Amino acid sequence: MTIYSFWIFDKHCNCIFDKEWTIPSQPRSGTTNSKQNENVAKLLYGLIFSLRSITDKISSDPVDFLSQKNRIRSITTGKCRVHLFETATGFWFALMTDFKQDDYYDILNHIYKNIFVRFISLNYISPSDFVENEDEKGGQGIRKINNKNFINNLELFLSPLIS
Amino acid sequence: MQQQQQPSNITRRHDPSHPHHHHQLTEEQQQFQLFQESLPKINRLVYQMLLNEIIPTSISVQNRLDESDDNSDAEQLKKLSISEKPVVPSHKLVSQMHEIKNEGRYNNILERIRTIGFKLGCKIADLLVFANNPNLNFRDMDLLAIMKFVCRDVWKLVFGKQIDNLKTNHRGTFYLIDYSYQPIKNFALNDDTNKLSAEELEKKELKSVEPFLELPVGIIKGVLEALGYNAKETICLATYIDLPNEDASHYGFSKGISFHVQVTNTTRQQQP
Repeated sequence: MTIYSFWIFDKHCNCIFDKEWTIPSQPRSGTTNSKQNENVAKLLYGLIFSLRSITDKISSDPVDFLSQKNRIRSITTGKCRVHLFETATGFWFALMTDFKQDDYYDILNHIYKNIFVRFISLNYISPSDFVENEDEKGGQGIRKINNKNFINNLELFLSPLIS
Repeated sequence: MQQQQQPSNITRRHDPSHPHHHHQLTEEQQQFQLFQESLPKINRLVYQMLLNEIIPTSISVQNRLDESDDNSDAEQLKKLSISEKPVVPSHKLVSQMHEIKNEGRYNNILERIRTIGFKLGCKIADLLVFANNPNLNFRDMDLLAIMKFVCRDVWKLVFGKQIDNLKTNHRGTFYLIDYSYQPIKNFALNDDTNKLSAEELEKKELKSVEPFLELPVGIIKGVLEALGYNAKETICLATYIDLPNEDASHYGFSKGISFHVQVTNTTRQQQP
Protein backbone atom coordinates (compact mmCIF):
# COMPACT_ATOMS: atom_id res chain seq x y z
CA MET A 1 0.00 0.00 0.00
CA THR A 2 1.16 3.47 -0.84
CA ILE A 3 -0.09 6.87 0.16
CA TYR A 4 0.38 9.68 -2.31
CA SER A 5 -1.06 12.69 -0.54
CA PHE A 6 -3.21 13.90 2.35
CA TRP A 7 -5.58 16.87 2.42
CA ILE A 8 -7.79 18.67 4.96
CA PHE A 9 -10.61 21.01 3.94
CA ASP A 10 -12.68 23.11 6.35
CA LYS A 11 -16.32 24.20 6.32
CA HIS A 12 -15.42 27.49 4.61
CA CYS A 13 -14.39 25.55 1.46
CA ASN A 14 -10.71 26.24 2.12
CA CYS A 15 -7.89 23.74 1.93
CA ILE A 16 -6.21 24.18 5.31
CA PHE A 17 -3.58 21.47 4.99
CA ASP A 18 -1.96 19.49 2.23
CA LYS A 19 0.91 17.09 2.22
CA GLU A 20 2.30 15.27 -0.79
CA TRP A 21 4.90 12.52 -0.71
CA THR A 22 7.11 12.48 -3.79
CA ILE A 23 9.46 9.53 -3.32
CA PRO A 24 7.65 6.56 -1.72
CA SER A 25 10.84 5.00 -0.34
CA GLN A 26 11.63 8.16 1.61
CA PRO A 27 8.80 9.12 3.99
CA ARG A 28 10.52 12.42 4.79
CA SER A 29 10.42 13.58 1.17
CA GLY A 30 7.58 15.66 -0.20
CA THR A 31 5.93 19.02 0.18
CA THR A 32 3.73 20.48 2.90
CA ASN A 33 1.26 23.30 2.30
CA SER A 34 2.74 23.93 -1.11
CA LYS A 35 1.57 26.85 -3.26
CA GLN A 36 1.72 24.63 -6.33
CA ASN A 37 -0.97 22.39 -4.91
CA GLU A 38 -3.51 25.20 -4.63
CA ASN A 39 -5.23 24.44 -7.93
CA VAL A 40 -5.20 20.69 -7.34
CA ALA A 41 -6.82 21.37 -3.97
CA LYS A 42 -9.60 23.37 -5.61
CA LEU A 43 -10.21 20.66 -8.21
CA LEU A 44 -10.25 17.95 -5.55
CA TYR A 45 -12.65 19.99 -3.43
CA GLY A 46 -14.93 20.48 -6.43
CA LEU A 47 -14.87 16.78 -7.28
CA ILE A 48 -15.78 15.76 -3.74
CA PHE A 49 -18.44 18.46 -3.47
CA SER A 50 -20.14 17.41 -6.72
CA LEU A 51 -20.13 13.74 -5.82
CA ARG A 52 -21.55 14.59 -2.41
CA SER A 53 -24.51 16.38 -3.95
CA ILE A 54 -25.09 13.46 -6.31
CA THR A 55 -25.08 10.92 -3.49
CA ASP A 56 -27.50 13.13 -1.55
CA LYS A 57 -29.85 13.19 -4.55
CA ILE A 58 -29.85 9.49 -5.35
CA SER A 59 -30.24 8.40 -1.75
CA SER A 60 -33.62 6.84 -0.97
CA ASP A 61 -33.44 7.99 2.67
CA PRO A 62 -33.61 11.64 3.61
CA VAL A 63 -30.19 13.12 4.29
CA ASP A 64 -29.05 11.97 7.69
CA PHE A 65 -26.18 14.05 9.03
CA LEU A 66 -25.59 12.00 12.14
CA SER A 67 -25.26 8.54 10.70
CA GLN A 68 -23.90 9.84 7.39
CA LYS A 69 -25.48 6.81 5.74
CA ASN A 70 -25.02 7.83 2.19
CA ARG A 71 -21.92 9.93 2.50
CA ILE A 72 -19.27 9.36 -0.10
CA ARG A 73 -16.45 7.22 1.28
CA SER A 74 -14.03 6.83 -1.61
CA ILE A 75 -13.51 7.82 -5.23
CA THR A 76 -11.61 5.47 -7.51
CA THR A 77 -9.98 6.37 -10.82
CA GLY A 78 -7.76 4.35 -13.10
CA LYS A 79 -4.65 5.43 -11.22
CA CYS A 80 -5.57 6.03 -7.62
CA ARG A 81 -8.21 6.04 -4.94
CA VAL A 82 -9.25 8.96 -2.74
CA HIS A 83 -10.55 8.05 0.70
CA LEU A 84 -12.79 10.52 2.51
CA PHE A 85 -13.71 11.16 6.09
CA GLU A 86 -16.17 13.90 6.93
CA THR A 87 -16.86 15.31 10.38
CA ALA A 88 -20.07 16.91 11.60
CA THR A 89 -18.12 20.14 12.11
CA GLY A 90 -17.46 20.34 8.40
CA PHE A 91 -13.89 19.14 8.08
CA TRP A 92 -13.07 16.82 5.20
CA PHE A 93 -10.05 14.57 5.40
CA ALA A 94 -8.93 13.17 2.06
CA LEU A 95 -6.23 10.56 1.56
CA MET A 96 -5.00 9.66 -1.91
CA THR A 97 -3.69 6.09 -2.14
CA ASP A 98 -3.17 3.18 -4.52
CA PHE A 99 -5.57 0.20 -4.79
CA LYS A 100 -3.98 -2.28 -2.40
CA GLN A 101 -6.19 -1.49 0.56
CA ASP A 102 -9.93 -0.94 0.34
CA ASP A 103 -10.67 0.91 3.50
CA TYR A 104 -8.76 3.68 5.22
CA TYR A 105 -11.70 4.74 7.38
CA ASP A 106 -10.04 3.73 10.65
CA ILE A 107 -6.84 5.48 9.73
CA LEU A 108 -8.62 8.72 8.89
CA ASN A 109 -10.70 8.38 12.04
CA HIS A 110 -7.51 7.98 14.06
CA ILE A 111 -5.95 11.06 12.45
CA TYR A 112 -9.03 13.10 13.35
CA LYS A 113 -9.42 11.75 16.87
CA ASN A 114 -5.84 11.51 18.06
CA ILE A 115 -3.91 14.03 16.01
CA PHE A 116 -6.26 16.73 14.74
CA VAL A 117 -8.37 17.13 17.90
CA ARG A 118 -5.34 16.87 20.14
CA PHE A 119 -2.99 19.30 18.43
CA ILE A 120 -5.45 21.71 16.82
CA SER A 121 -8.63 21.80 18.90
CA LEU A 122 -6.98 21.48 22.31
CA ASN A 123 -4.22 23.91 21.45
CA TYR A 124 -5.01 27.20 23.18
CA ILE A 125 -2.40 29.33 21.47
CA SER A 126 -3.39 28.64 17.89
CA PRO A 127 -6.73 28.96 16.08
CA SER A 128 -9.14 26.08 15.59
CA ASP A 129 -11.05 27.88 12.87
CA PHE A 130 -8.74 29.04 10.12
CA VAL A 131 -10.79 31.98 8.89
CA GLU A 132 -10.15 35.44 10.35
CA ASN A 133 -12.62 37.60 8.45
CA GLU A 134 -15.47 37.43 5.96
CA ASP A 135 -13.16 37.81 2.95
CA GLU A 136 -11.50 34.49 3.66
CA LYS A 137 -14.71 32.50 3.57
CA GLY A 138 -15.93 30.68 0.48
CA GLY A 139 -12.65 29.22 -0.69
CA GLN A 140 -10.68 32.47 -0.53
CA GLY A 141 -8.72 31.53 2.58
CA ILE A 142 -4.95 31.62 2.71
CA ARG A 143 -4.32 30.23 6.18
CA LYS A 144 -2.85 26.77 6.65
CA ILE A 145 -2.14 24.46 9.55
CA ASN A 146 1.52 25.10 10.22
CA ASN A 147 1.82 23.62 13.65
CA LYS A 148 4.98 21.59 14.15
CA ASN A 149 3.44 19.16 16.64
CA PHE A 150 0.62 18.36 14.24
CA ILE A 151 2.88 17.89 11.22
CA ASN A 152 5.46 15.80 13.11
CA ASN A 153 2.84 13.51 14.64
CA LEU A 154 1.02 13.11 11.34
CA GLU A 155 4.25 12.17 9.58
CA LEU A 156 5.16 9.77 12.34
CA PHE A 157 1.78 8.05 12.09
CA LEU A 158 1.61 7.88 8.29
CA SER A 159 5.24 7.05 7.51
CA PRO A 160 4.83 3.23 7.80
CA LEU A 161 2.00 3.39 5.25
CA ILE A 162 3.86 5.32 2.59
CA SER A 163 6.34 2.73 1.30
CA MET B 1 23.95 29.51 47.63
CA GLN B 2 21.47 26.89 46.60
CA GLN B 3 23.66 23.85 46.59
CA GLN B 4 21.68 20.72 46.25
CA GLN B 5 22.43 17.92 48.63
CA GLN B 6 21.53 14.56 47.22
CA PRO B 7 18.56 15.31 45.06
CA SER B 8 15.87 13.01 46.27
CA ASN B 9 13.75 11.57 43.55
CA ILE B 10 10.24 10.75 44.56
CA THR B 11 8.93 9.66 41.21
CA ARG B 12 6.50 6.82 41.58
CA ARG B 13 4.94 5.82 38.32
CA HIS B 14 2.38 3.10 38.07
CA ASP B 15 4.29 0.02 37.18
CA PRO B 16 2.24 -2.20 34.87
CA SER B 17 4.12 -5.33 35.97
CA HIS B 18 2.68 -4.97 39.47
CA PRO B 19 -0.97 -4.21 38.82
CA HIS B 20 -2.52 -4.29 42.26
CA HIS B 21 -1.24 -5.30 45.63
CA HIS B 22 -4.62 -5.91 47.15
CA HIS B 23 -3.24 -8.49 49.54
CA GLN B 24 -0.70 -6.00 50.86
CA LEU B 25 -3.18 -3.22 51.56
CA THR B 26 -4.32 -2.65 55.07
CA GLU B 27 -8.01 -2.46 55.76
CA GLU B 28 -7.70 1.30 56.07
CA GLN B 29 -6.06 1.59 52.67
CA GLN B 30 -8.70 -0.63 51.11
CA GLN B 31 -11.39 1.62 52.52
CA PHE B 32 -9.57 4.65 51.12
CA GLN B 33 -9.45 2.99 47.72
CA LEU B 34 -13.17 2.23 47.89
CA PHE B 35 -13.83 5.82 48.93
CA GLN B 36 -11.84 7.16 45.98
CA GLU B 37 -13.65 4.88 43.57
CA SER B 38 -17.01 6.05 44.91
CA LEU B 39 -16.19 9.74 44.33
CA PRO B 40 -18.16 11.43 41.57
CA LYS B 41 -16.31 11.49 38.29
CA ILE B 42 -16.26 14.05 35.51
CA ASN B 43 -14.67 14.18 32.10
CA ARG B 44 -11.05 15.26 32.51
CA LEU B 45 -10.97 16.93 29.11
CA VAL B 46 -13.76 19.37 29.89
CA TYR B 47 -12.27 20.19 33.26
CA GLN B 48 -8.83 20.70 31.75
CA MET B 49 -10.25 23.04 29.12
CA LEU B 50 -12.01 25.04 31.82
CA LEU B 51 -8.72 25.39 33.72
CA ASN B 52 -7.02 26.58 30.54
CA GLU B 53 -9.83 28.99 29.79
CA ILE B 54 -8.98 30.87 33.00
CA ILE B 55 -6.01 32.46 31.22
CA PRO B 56 -7.80 34.07 28.23
CA THR B 57 -10.61 35.07 30.60
CA SER B 58 -8.17 36.92 32.85
CA ILE B 59 -6.69 38.74 29.87
CA SER B 60 -10.18 39.66 28.68
CA VAL B 61 -11.14 40.96 32.13
CA GLN B 62 -8.03 43.15 32.17
CA ASN B 63 -8.85 44.46 28.69
CA ARG B 64 -12.36 45.46 29.79
CA LEU B 65 -11.03 47.12 32.94
CA ASP B 66 -8.53 49.14 30.91
CA GLU B 67 -11.29 50.18 28.54
CA SER B 68 -13.48 51.49 31.32
CA ASP B 69 -10.64 53.38 33.06
CA ASP B 70 -10.55 56.34 30.74
CA ASN B 71 -14.27 56.90 30.43
CA SER B 72 -16.67 59.28 32.14
CA ASP B 73 -19.69 58.15 34.13
CA ALA B 74 -22.04 58.83 31.21
CA GLU B 75 -19.97 56.56 29.03
CA GLN B 76 -20.02 53.94 31.74
CA LEU B 77 -23.81 54.09 31.87
CA LYS B 78 -24.00 53.52 28.14
CA LYS B 79 -21.96 50.39 28.59
CA LEU B 80 -24.48 48.97 31.00
CA SER B 81 -26.90 48.43 28.15
CA ILE B 82 -26.84 44.95 26.83
CA SER B 83 -25.22 45.09 23.45
CA GLU B 84 -23.43 42.54 21.45
CA LYS B 85 -19.69 42.75 21.85
CA PRO B 86 -17.42 41.16 19.31
CA VAL B 87 -16.13 37.85 20.64
CA VAL B 88 -12.37 37.61 20.58
CA PRO B 89 -11.16 34.02 20.18
CA SER B 90 -9.07 32.63 23.05
CA HIS B 91 -5.90 32.18 21.02
CA LYS B 92 -6.01 35.85 20.02
CA LEU B 93 -6.27 36.93 23.64
CA VAL B 94 -3.35 34.73 24.58
CA SER B 95 -1.27 36.05 21.68
CA GLN B 96 -1.85 39.59 22.98
CA MET B 97 0.34 38.72 25.94
CA HIS B 98 3.66 39.14 24.17
CA GLU B 99 2.54 42.43 22.62
CA ILE B 100 1.81 44.08 25.98
CA LYS B 101 4.42 46.78 26.55
CA ASN B 102 2.94 48.09 29.78
CA GLU B 103 4.56 46.03 32.52
CA GLY B 104 1.98 46.92 35.13
CA ARG B 105 -0.76 45.60 32.92
CA TYR B 106 1.16 42.40 32.22
CA ASN B 107 1.72 41.82 35.91
CA ASN B 108 -1.93 42.56 36.69
CA ILE B 109 -2.96 39.71 34.40
CA LEU B 110 -0.45 37.30 35.94
CA GLU B 111 -1.51 38.37 39.43
CA ARG B 112 -5.15 37.71 38.60
CA ILE B 113 -4.37 34.18 37.38
CA ARG B 114 -2.17 33.53 40.43
CA THR B 115 -4.97 34.65 42.75
CA ILE B 116 -7.43 32.25 41.12
CA GLY B 117 -4.85 29.47 41.53
CA PHE B 118 -4.22 30.48 45.13
CA LYS B 119 -7.89 30.21 46.08
CA LEU B 120 -8.13 26.92 44.22
CA GLY B 121 -5.09 25.65 46.11
CA CYS B 122 -6.54 26.57 49.53
CA LYS B 123 -9.71 24.63 48.73
CA ILE B 124 -7.91 21.66 47.20
CA ALA B 125 -5.89 21.28 50.41
CA ASP B 126 -9.12 21.14 52.38
CA LEU B 127 -10.59 18.57 50.03
CA LEU B 128 -7.52 16.35 50.26
CA VAL B 129 -7.38 16.59 54.04
CA PHE B 130 -11.05 15.63 54.07
CA ALA B 131 -10.41 12.72 51.71
CA ASN B 132 -7.71 11.76 54.22
CA ASN B 133 -5.36 9.36 52.54
CA PRO B 134 -4.41 6.94 55.36
CA ASN B 135 -0.74 7.17 54.37
CA LEU B 136 -0.72 10.84 55.34
CA ASN B 137 -0.66 12.27 58.79
CA PHE B 138 -1.08 15.98 58.47
CA ARG B 139 -0.39 16.79 62.10
CA ASP B 140 3.31 15.96 62.13
CA MET B 141 4.21 16.67 58.55
CA ASP B 142 7.37 18.65 57.96
CA LEU B 143 7.97 20.85 54.94
CA LEU B 144 9.50 18.04 52.88
CA ALA B 145 6.50 15.81 53.54
CA ILE B 146 4.20 18.62 52.52
CA MET B 147 6.09 19.18 49.27
CA LYS B 148 5.85 15.44 48.60
CA PHE B 149 2.11 15.75 49.26
CA VAL B 150 1.98 18.55 46.65
CA CYS B 151 3.95 16.44 44.16
CA ARG B 152 1.86 13.31 44.61
CA ASP B 153 -1.66 14.04 45.78
CA VAL B 154 -2.28 17.62 44.69
CA TRP B 155 -0.73 17.17 41.24
CA LYS B 156 -2.56 13.86 40.76
CA LEU B 157 -5.88 15.48 41.64
CA VAL B 158 -5.45 18.61 39.53
CA PHE B 159 -3.40 17.42 36.56
CA GLY B 160 -3.90 13.65 36.56
CA LYS B 161 -0.22 12.83 36.98
CA GLN B 162 2.52 13.22 39.55
CA ILE B 163 5.47 15.61 39.39
CA ASP B 164 8.38 13.87 37.66
CA ASN B 165 11.16 15.02 39.95
CA LEU B 166 11.57 16.79 43.29
CA LYS B 167 14.89 18.30 44.33
CA THR B 168 15.67 20.05 47.58
CA ASN B 169 18.59 21.48 49.56
CA HIS B 170 16.80 20.64 52.84
CA ARG B 171 16.82 24.33 53.78
CA GLY B 172 13.51 25.44 52.36
CA THR B 173 14.36 25.46 48.64
CA PHE B 174 12.58 23.01 46.36
CA TYR B 175 12.57 22.34 42.65
CA LEU B 176 9.47 20.58 41.34
CA ILE B 177 10.09 19.42 37.80
CA ASP B 178 7.34 18.37 35.43
CA TYR B 179 8.52 17.19 32.01
CA SER B 180 5.04 17.00 30.52
CA TYR B 181 2.89 19.57 32.26
CA GLN B 182 -0.56 18.40 31.19
CA PRO B 183 -2.47 21.64 30.39
CA ILE B 184 0.14 22.82 27.87
CA LYS B 185 1.46 19.54 26.47
CA ASN B 186 -0.34 19.94 23.13
CA PHE B 187 0.45 23.62 22.66
CA ALA B 188 2.30 24.90 19.62
CA LEU B 189 2.09 28.22 17.85
CA ASN B 190 0.60 28.21 14.35
CA ASP B 191 2.68 30.51 12.19
CA ASP B 192 0.47 31.06 9.15
CA THR B 193 2.53 33.92 7.76
CA ASN B 194 5.74 31.86 7.58
CA LYS B 195 7.74 34.99 8.30
CA LEU B 196 9.37 33.98 11.57
CA SER B 197 12.51 31.93 11.89
CA ALA B 198 12.45 28.79 14.03
CA GLU B 199 14.11 30.53 17.00
CA GLU B 200 11.80 33.54 16.86
CA LEU B 201 8.82 31.24 16.68
CA GLU B 202 9.97 29.27 19.71
CA LYS B 203 10.64 32.46 21.66
CA LYS B 204 7.17 33.74 20.85
CA GLU B 205 5.66 30.38 21.73
CA LEU B 206 7.35 30.22 25.14
CA LYS B 207 6.27 33.80 25.88
CA SER B 208 2.65 32.97 24.96
CA VAL B 209 2.60 29.95 27.23
CA GLU B 210 4.05 31.84 30.24
CA PRO B 211 0.68 32.93 31.71
CA PHE B 212 -0.44 29.28 31.75
CA LEU B 213 2.28 28.56 34.33
CA GLU B 214 0.92 31.09 36.83
CA LEU B 215 -2.05 28.91 37.74
CA PRO B 216 -0.01 26.03 39.23
CA VAL B 217 2.24 28.61 40.94
CA GLY B 218 -0.87 29.96 42.67
CA ILE B 219 -2.07 26.45 43.51
CA ILE B 220 1.25 25.54 45.21
CA LYS B 221 1.17 28.75 47.26
CA GLY B 222 -2.46 28.15 48.17
CA VAL B 223 -1.83 24.61 49.41
CA LEU B 224 1.15 25.80 51.48
CA GLU B 225 -0.93 28.62 52.94
CA ALA B 226 -3.72 26.23 53.91
CA LEU B 227 -1.21 23.93 55.63
CA GLY B 228 0.36 26.67 57.73
CA TYR B 229 3.03 28.40 55.64
CA ASN B 230 2.17 32.05 55.15
CA ALA B 231 1.96 33.05 51.50
CA LYS B 232 4.05 36.14 52.26
CA GLU B 233 6.94 33.91 53.27
CA THR B 234 6.88 31.63 50.25
CA ILE B 235 8.27 32.43 46.83
CA CYS B 236 7.19 30.33 43.89
CA LEU B 237 8.42 30.79 40.33
CA ALA B 238 7.99 28.76 37.17
CA THR B 239 10.71 28.44 34.53
CA TYR B 240 11.31 26.33 31.44
CA ILE B 241 13.85 23.53 31.39
CA ASP B 242 15.00 21.25 28.59
CA LEU B 243 13.50 17.81 28.28
CA PRO B 244 15.78 14.89 29.17
CA ASN B 245 14.76 13.09 26.00
CA GLU B 246 15.49 15.34 23.01
CA ASP B 247 13.18 13.44 20.63
CA ALA B 248 10.12 14.05 22.78
CA SER B 249 10.27 17.78 22.02
CA HIS B 250 9.35 17.15 18.36
CA TYR B 251 6.03 15.52 19.23
CA GLY B 252 4.68 17.76 21.98
CA PHE B 253 5.48 20.94 23.88
CA SER B 254 9.21 21.57 23.52
CA LYS B 255 10.06 22.35 27.15
CA GLY B 256 9.58 20.95 30.62
CA ILE B 257 8.53 23.13 33.53
CA SER B 258 10.48 23.66 36.73
CA PHE B 259 8.72 25.18 39.72
CA HIS B 260 11.09 26.83 42.15
CA VAL B 261 9.61 27.04 45.64
CA GLN B 262 11.39 28.84 48.45
CA VAL B 263 10.03 28.97 51.98
CA THR B 264 11.80 31.54 54.13
CA ASN B 265 10.20 30.58 57.44
CA THR B 266 10.32 26.80 57.57
CA THR B 267 8.64 26.43 60.95
CA ARG B 268 5.04 25.56 60.47
CA GLN B 269 2.57 27.85 62.12
CA GLN B 270 0.43 25.57 64.24
CA GLN B 271 -3.06 26.72 64.81
CA PRO B 272 -3.85 27.14 68.51
